[in-house]
Amino acid sequence: MRECLSIHIGQAGVQIGDACWELYCLEHGIQPDGFILDSQHDHLENTKMEHRSASLDTFFHETRAGKHVPRALFMDLEPTVIDGIRVGKYHSLFHPEQLVNGKEDAANNYARGRYSVGSEAIELVLERIRKLAEQCSGLQGFLIYRSFGGGTGSGFTSLLMEQLSVEYCRKTKLEFSVYPSPRISTAVVEPYNAILTTHSTIEHSDCTFMVDNEAVYDICHHKLGVKRPSYATINRLLAQLLSSITASLRFEGPLNVDLIEFQTNLVPYPRIHFPITTLAPIISAEKAYQEHLSVTDITAACFEYSNQLVKCDPRLGKYMACCLLYRGDVVPKDVNTAIAAMKSRTSVQFVDWCPTGFKVGINHQPPTVMPGGDLARVQRTVCMLSNSTAIVEAWARLDHKFDLMYAKKAFLHWYITEGMEQGEFIEAREDLAALEKDYEEVGLSF
Amino acid sequence: MYFKCSHPTGGSFVRPNKANFGVDFLTALKKRYALEDGSDDDGISCSLIVGSKQVQTVGFESITKKQSHLRALQNISLWKCAVSCAGEQGRIAETCPNIRVVNLSKNLLSSWNEVILIAEQLNNLESLDLSENKLQFPSDSPTPSGTFSNLKILVLNKIGITWAEVLRFAASWPVLEELYLKSNSISISERPVNVLQKLTLLDLSSNPAIDESQLYLIAYLPRLAHLFISEIGLSSIHFPDAGIGCKTSMFPSLQYLVVNDNQISEWSFINELDKLQSLQSLSCTRNPLCEVDKAEDIIIAKIAQLKTLNRCQIFPEERRGAELDYRRTFGIEWKRAGGHPDPDKNRPNAEFISAHPRYQLLCCKYGAPEDEELKTEQPFMLKNQLLTLKIKCSNQHEQKVLEKQLPDSMTVQKVKGLLSRLLKVPVSELLLSYESPKMPGKEIELGNDLQSLQFYSVENGDCLLVRW
Repeated sequence: MRECLSIHIGQAGVQIGDACWELYCLEHGIQPDGFILDSQHDHLENTKMEHRSASLDTFFHETRAGKHVPRALFMDLEPTVIDGIRVGKYHSLFHPEQLVNGKEDAANNYARGRYSVGSEAIELVLERIRKLAEQCSGLQGFLIYRSFGGGTGSGFTSLLMEQLSVEYCRKTKLEFSVYPSPRISTAVVEPYNAILTTHSTIEHSDCTFMVDNEAVYDICHHKLGVKRPSYATINRLLAQLLSSITASLRFEGPLNVDLIEFQTNLVPYPRIHFPITTLAPIISAEKAYQEHLSVTDITAACFEYSNQLVKCDPRLGKYMACCLLYRGDVVPKDVNTAIAAMKSRTSVQFVDWCPTGFKVGINHQPPTVMPGGDLARVQRTVCMLSNSTAIVEAWARLDHKFDLMYAKKAFLHWYITEGMEQGEFIEAREDLAALEKDYEEVGLSF
Repeated sequence: MYFKCSHPTGGSFVRPNKANFGVDFLTALKKRYALEDGSDDDGISCSLIVGSKQVQTVGFESITKKQSHLRALQNISLWKCAVSCAGEQGRIAETCPNIRVVNLSKNLLSSWNEVILIAEQLNNLESLDLSENKLQFPSDSPTPSGTFSNLKILVLNKIGITWAEVLRFAASWPVLEELYLKSNSISISERPVNVLQKLTLLDLSSNPAIDESQLYLIAYLPRLAHLFISEIGLSSIHFPDAGIGCKTSMFPSLQYLVVNDNQISEWSFINELDKLQSLQSLSCTRNPLCEVDKAEDIIIAKIAQLKTLNRCQIFPEERRGAELDYRRTFGIEWKRAGGHPDPDKNRPNAEFISAHPRYQLLCCKYGAPEDEELKTEQPFMLKNQLLTLKIKCSNQHEQKVLEKQLPDSMTVQKVKGLLSRLLKVPVSELLLSYESPKMPGKEIELGNDLQSLQFYSVENGDCLLVRW
């Protein structure tokens, strides 16, 4: 029951997925071949084992042979990244049908991802998803991992989301998106892709968690001391974040956070569904056991700008909802103290119309780290998901860049030749302008 | 007695009746993880007020219910809970036998015997943190067999332990994998024999009494893969059992070495690290050596098998760039020391080889550096740009041969102007040409007034011929 299907689209989505499933396997004790090493858990009572398998079930499908297969689909329009998984450490974990690739990529072009190249791949992808959904007894929803700036991540995802809404209309769809960084760009046409995809997916997605590479680079630099983090380091950090978000789904926990609960608690209006993610503590492996970080310390760290995974200043906005997901050795008493310590901060401002601002959850499963990775093992972590009006800053930046390029009609012909119309650009931009206005309105006092 | 102050009059302000003598393990555990029976928290725990907002707490009651089932606890922290003793015997084993990870740092435990009393009741104990307890290690502590049988991680930072004490008790930690001994003023006095053999990680940072020679004593731990020796005042390291270009038998499994915040200032340190068999990752920051320009590239070039430096992955292009740069930078020194592209004539002296052990290998990999690559740019000084020229007047033989220094950027017109002032001849009547000792018999006319001497390839030592 309550199964979740993860769909990883495009290079970013697939590589994050790679790091993610590696971490999930470590946490559940699943070997690279899909079988669980029982020895360490033998002495636990039987009931505990049952509970464990029940929660494991949300993310892994157990075959009759006892092999655990992730409920995931990896998809890219070109073969290189998917081939990397096919020869990687965990290649025997996945069924070959879960790894889908096309031959020609979207070349950073939303139009290719959505119309020309993407439309050829969509039927196959939907069929594979249908198969995975059939294996579920009570599918809760989908988790979609992608980037805004790439061609497949933007174009193909918008096409897929539309189709999923048609076929699985009652199922939740949560997105985990890599937002284009303010100062570091991997593609010149990022703003186009990002805005076009946001416009098309905004009505189909229930909640979109955003991260941006620049914020993660800064965290790696300042907190882990890594001057030039590779994508591997960054993806491991994101995997920790995702693990915290999905921990209650995968482990028996006191707080039963299923996908609908995320929506209910974080999204006040259908369009205002872009929470900011923060993770604490982030400590380098070389500094393990050096400092003791109590619940108060890590909670305070969550409200620091430097621990955020998106570059936008929450002090300039107001919080509409805040979700604190604790993990590991955390007692309610400590959480109460921690929140009481936060209340004195004037920087944490809530909107007038939202009476119950905080939601707190605790999961006792201790955080796991990848052996040989950059992060230190800690006894407790917290992940904060906050819906703040400050995120409009991120949209405003993106809109501005879009305007600069669109005013000159720069790079537009690449999209037009693949079958798009200029009207779609205008429509998308207007939609984003409306989104900015919406955020402004919710932040207003009575 | 709990502990002795390190200074004779330290602690004189402590009043015995005010001192907190701590509580036993279970009292601290229950205080943190379970509510007392009949507590008054039941009604209030459902909601709190934060500022003017009501905070809805979800699931707290069920958590406390679960935690009051202390039996289920596996990963606990009793940091700063004033734990001073184990309490009644057997009670811990009854109450919470499944504990695997305990953080008992910053408590009031005074003797290792107390620790044994706690640990013998926790059969599944895998990770124990006892940092910042002033522990004494009595010489007659018997450890019941089975205690610590699963202990993999032991953190003993800042407890004032000595190396001898570590080894004495190490026999009771048969499967220990990670040992943290920061800030203990340790100096390694003997080699671990039959103990600590499964150790994969050892943290000896911030123990300034450790020096290079003591490191030899831990060099034969067969599985040691991670060694943290930051902030110990280390300045050099030698592996005398291996010559240049050979691998040492010391630290056979060492993959990840951290030597931050030391006194490393000689490149010989880095040269020695190349001798380690398994080294893949090095963290070497905040050392005098790292202030040098491009220090990281030089480190990459000097240690062949390094895959990660200062937590940044070294990509193949980076390695190639660093090695090529290294080969070029030290090329002149190599030549001066006797190096030569021709393998028969290549005999660099011993000093060069010991300073740059990988240089020959790099030459084999990329070819010997060519002269063109090695030419250093002359500093842009005016005196380097001047040509020393002789000036002969072919018409008048009684004139002496003048010698003048002229910049090569000087135009012919200006040269004529200068000569007209010297020879008292009007400019318009002068005809210039030059001849070069490199091309005897050939005379080159300097016809275009607007061109410079450089245009006509006039070089140092050439002779200007003036006619009018």
